[in-house]
Amino acid sequence: MSADELVIPRESLQIASVDRREVLRYLGHREQELTSEFEALLDETIARCLNVATPRMALRSFALANTESAAAVNDAAYGTTATAGEPAALRLVGSQLELVGCDIAKHLAGADRVVLMAVTTGNAIDQELRRLSFGNSLEQLVFDAAATALVERVADVAEARVRDWAASMQRFTSWRFSPGYGDLPLETQRLLLASLDATRQLGITLTDSLLMAPTKSVSAIMGVHAVPQSGMASSCSICSLFEFCTQRLQGRTCCG
Amino acid sequence: MDNTNTAEKPAASEEGFGAAGISPAEKPTATKAASKAATKAASVTPSIPNYPRCVRIKDDHLARVLAGTEFLLFDGAMGTQLQEAGLEAGELPELLCLTEPEKITQIHERYVTAGSEVVTTNTFGANAKKLGSAATVEQVFSAAIACARAAHPRYVAADIGPTGALLRPLGTMPFDEAYELFAQQVRAADAAGADLFIIETMADILETKAAILAAKENSDLPIFCTMTFGEDGRSFLGTTPELAAVTLSALGVDVVGINCSLGPADVAPLVARMTEWASCPVMAQANAGLPSVVDGKTVYSIGPDEYCQALVPMLDAGVTILGGCCGTSPTYIAGERSLLDSRQPAARAPHNMLTTTSAQELFSLAAGEVGIIGERINPTGKPRLKEALKTGNFDYVMGEAISQVKAGAQVLDVNAGLPEIDEQATLVRLVEDLQGITTKPLQIDSADPKAIEAAVRIYPGKPIINSVNAKDSSLKTIIPIAKHYGCALVGLCLGDAGIPDTAEGRFELAQRIVYACDEAGIARQDILIDCLTMAVSTDQQAPRIVLDTIKLVKSRLEGVRCVLGVSNVSFGLPYRDLLNATFLVAAFEAGLDMAIMNPLSQRFMDAVDAWRVFNGDDERSTHYIEANANRSDTVSPVSGATDAGGKKSAAAETNGLSPDREPTAESAGTSTSGGVLSPAEAIRENIIAGRKEPVARAVAELLASAADSAASDASASTAVDASDSASDSASDPDASDPAASDPDASAPTASDPTASDPDTTAPLTIIDEMLIPALDEVGDLFEKGRFFLPQLMASAEAAKAGFEVIRQNSTADSLAQKEHIALATVKGDIHDIGKNIVKMLLENYGYQVHDLGRDVDPQVVVNEVVAHNIKLAGLSALMTTTVPAMAETIELLREQAPWCKVMVGGAVLNPEYAELVGADFYAKDANESAKIAAEVLG
Repeated sequence: MSADELVIPRESLQIASVDRREVLRYLGHREQELTSEFEALLDETIARCLNVATPRMALRSFALANTESAAAVNDAAYGTTATAGEPAALRLVGSQLELVGCDIAKHLAGADRVVLMAVTTGNAIDQELRRLSFGNSLEQLVFDAAATALVERVADVAEARVRDWAASMQRFTSWRFSPGYGDLPLETQRLLLASLDATRQLGITLTDSLLMAPTKSVSAIMGVHAVPQSGMASSCSICSLFEFCTQRLQGRTCCG
Repeated sequence: MDNTNTAEKPAASEEGFGAAGISPAEKPTATKAASKAATKAASVTPSIPNYPRCVRIKDDHLARVLAGTEFLLFDGAMGTQLQEAGLEAGELPELLCLTEPEKITQIHERYVTAGSEVVTTNTFGANAKKLGSAATVEQVFSAAIACARAAHPRYVAADIGPTGALLRPLGTMPFDEAYELFAQQVRAADAAGADLFIIETMADILETKAAILAAKENSDLPIFCTMTFGEDGRSFLGTTPELAAVTLSALGVDVVGINCSLGPADVAPLVARMTEWASCPVMAQANAGLPSVVDGKTVYSIGPDEYCQALVPMLDAGVTILGGCCGTSPTYIAGERSLLDSRQPAARAPHNMLTTTSAQELFSLAAGEVGIIGERINPTGKPRLKEALKTGNFDYVMGEAISQVKAGAQVLDVNAGLPEIDEQATLVRLVEDLQGITTKPLQIDSADPKAIEAAVRIYPGKPIINSVNAKDSSLKTIIPIAKHYGCALVGLCLGDAGIPDTAEGRFELAQRIVYACDEAGIARQDILIDCLTMAVSTDQQAPRIVLDTIKLVKSRLEGVRCVLGVSNVSFGLPYRDLLNATFLVAAFEAGLDMAIMNPLSQRFMDAVDAWRVFNGDDERSTHYIEANANRSDTVSPVSGATDAGGKKSAAAETNGLSPDREPTAESAGTSTSGGVLSPAEAIRENIIAGRKEPVARAVAELLASAADSAASDASASTAVDASDSASDSASDPDASDPAASDPDASAPTASDPTASDPDTTAPLTIIDEMLIPALDEVGDLFEKGRFFLPQLMASAEAAKAGFEVIRQNSTADSLAQKEHIALATVKGDIHDIGKNIVKMLLENYGYQVHDLGRDVDPQVVVNEVVAHNIKLAGLSALMTTTVPAMAETIELLREQAPWCKVMVGGAVLNPEYAELVGADFYAKDANESAKIAAEVLG
């Protein structure tokens, strides 16, 4: 590949709207009738969420160092070879990040590059959630749903940017795969965020229990492929919560 | 004066910038080898290490730099230089000091050759947390400083970056842990021979404060401190350049400034704003724009020439210390060198205002302007506040804060002085929680120096301390705390012989305090003298003495400000607000700067608004016109306050935390449903519909019919002009209670004649036969899927509004409280929304909920359960990674509180998991938790 790498250390985004239906979906809404009071609260809360948020993203591409072993790993993951046990980690050129597990290997099958992504809606969202936590549980709940919808929007914007970049090279991307999905360890967060310098660039930090703060942040890995990828993002099958997910039982998913 | 403060004068470098600006004539002298022993001997507060601070400055040049009279040039980027040399993303660059020292020294050398006077060690992330087991902090600093020294720079700056973790309450890292990480770096750097500290790329003012305190308390080297700001002019945590300049220079840093994030053209206006507020030299280290990869090479958008051109406005604004951040190289530094060599430091004239800050808001008061400090977070004479502080249920306190801010308070006084509670712990928690709901700066009010110190230490800003007095013991303990932690300070005209009864006598005490502050290096504009209001009913000369003292202080102690708790003046007389407001205006005219008062008193605020018109603060009377254009001359705006001790309107007092303050045009006797529904039916219908105000009104109506005497009062006080948005608060019994702000008064607020003889049947009937059944019905609808969660919550809030009315109309013990329940989001988890929903529902069912918050240590849960003999605890966890903490908490509970049942809930839990972690119950939602509570507790 002769083209330049994708490097967006930090970009602020102006997001003017979120999908109301998305917010309602996060609130568990199905057919219930909405009161005018609630609709007003919903609209007002979404507006305030958009107003206090400072959406930012960071993107950076890396070549995969061991694509041939990715293929082998992929075979192993599909059980087409006899190799048992832990698959070898995928390594990136110019980053210390290593991607471990069968599911990420499947996800990146055929890719020769990955794009690391981190997005956040900023600390002001968490500050507002904290303010509402003092006796405004309903507003906190609705604001939380609005902020979740917003950070997904921000991730969508970032993903579109990656797709455009890939398209400019006649390449195709796979969906956003985040640490903690399938058997990709949550521990992956540390070096993923470090590779994007995400604390300095976006203000994203990790707690000892590997949660991101600000809480409304998304980190993910996308593959860059030579052929179009058909894999669906909403794949519950690799989710570690698959067995007892209450949403799935009700015929819903958390990922759209 | 045999008892003047003997505190040693602080280092001259701290005084380079006087209130009136830079005074080049006062050049500080270098103190090459400051005697630490002598410093310690002079220290009057052993609890504060290295106080008073005596800075060890390497040479005369650095001393002049710290006085603002000479330039200083740092180096450029280290990280991007290393990346060019092949450093991988995610790699710890600090380890190269150990593995490839020559490479690091080479980079330093290139900067020294280009003209850098200071080189910055390669230790940005060298804290114990980031290094892990790779190397010790001491090893890295020792190697890094050796690398720097080997390049022969004039000065070596020990670089200290952020911890990489977010501090509580938004994150999980405790202040003390951050402090310890920094302190270890400081000690290692000092021991290895650094010349100064550069604390940089900080985004969180609290974390920055931890780093500065760590530097001050563990070393005497100069502290340079820079924060980083986005295009919006705020740090990631909402701090502005002004705010950082005020707070950090008050904390005693020797240089303050900005680095990273932006290119020089964007940094210039931000750093110029800093120069207006900092009382020390200001520095800037901008990025070379943004990077991109071209032909496999990382290039930055701003070249050396453009970069140096953009520095000119910074120098014009008075910046005296430069360098570079990400993307800059020796070429940039060489350009900066010739730029500095061609110029002289520009004159600066920092503001001379009284300032206090929170993490997100700067309050400043120019001479002649007046400001308001809200007095209501003080348990004296407030039974409900006392109760809230005792039980740790702070929602009520938060409500007090919100209403005061809405009414116009610019600073909030916080007092937790109750003999039966742990004042220090309560004050600290109050200060932390109040930051969550308001951005107004706080005034820390306590008689206990330990409580004051604990609170100001973890306060993310520059608070006001209330107070010091002129007694030796007070001066020697409080002034060092104020200086060390960078606080403004209230000084009471109170001495060993009490409060003098002449203006001259009080002035002498004020002068004593001010001189002691002078000696400690506290700026005059940070001192607020309280001339102490006494009741006019006991001595009619008393108010005159106060006014005369204010005049003396303002005319003879240049730059000092005056503050006054006003309401005591009317103690013992009727219609107190009139006396208070009139006295307030007289005090303003005498020179009062800040009034400590109840902003919910309409007459008080009217007086303030009117004064601001006459004083010219309210330009074109804009605010006054806005506030009063629709007010009527015929209806008394303070009718609520006239019935002192009278029954407040229950309808007007809905949920104190409710953001909506709808005018209550209707009287309590009218149902929203047009009189068709009975109050009982209205309660049910409106709870199900989730409407707060109608429920509150209907409950009030029922209560009124149950207690005849209350009925007339309630309708009387709701007959207030609906446009008067403050009418509800003005009729608050606390507001008009004589004891509200009088520490000497022992009369409780429950002087209310109706409350002392309440009809206790009615409230219980309303709860058991109306509110609870309606909630049950809603729970049912939720379970059947007919309601979704927000509807359940809206109904719960509506019911809560009803409970509030009942609570406010009953004495504390007339309502039997149900059992206690402890709730917590487990250690490591910061998602608390589910827990908050459960809390609200359980409270509505009458349980006394002990909300321990989020990220709660297992032992804290156990302690609370044991202390209150709690029989049910609810734990929530949202992430798979925090489920182990849940198991750990349950295990500890089994060991130390085997009687306590445990219910668990959260997104990743299911019945099997619940059993696995050892819980007794799995609550799939909030509604379920109420059922479990009923099953366990009845």
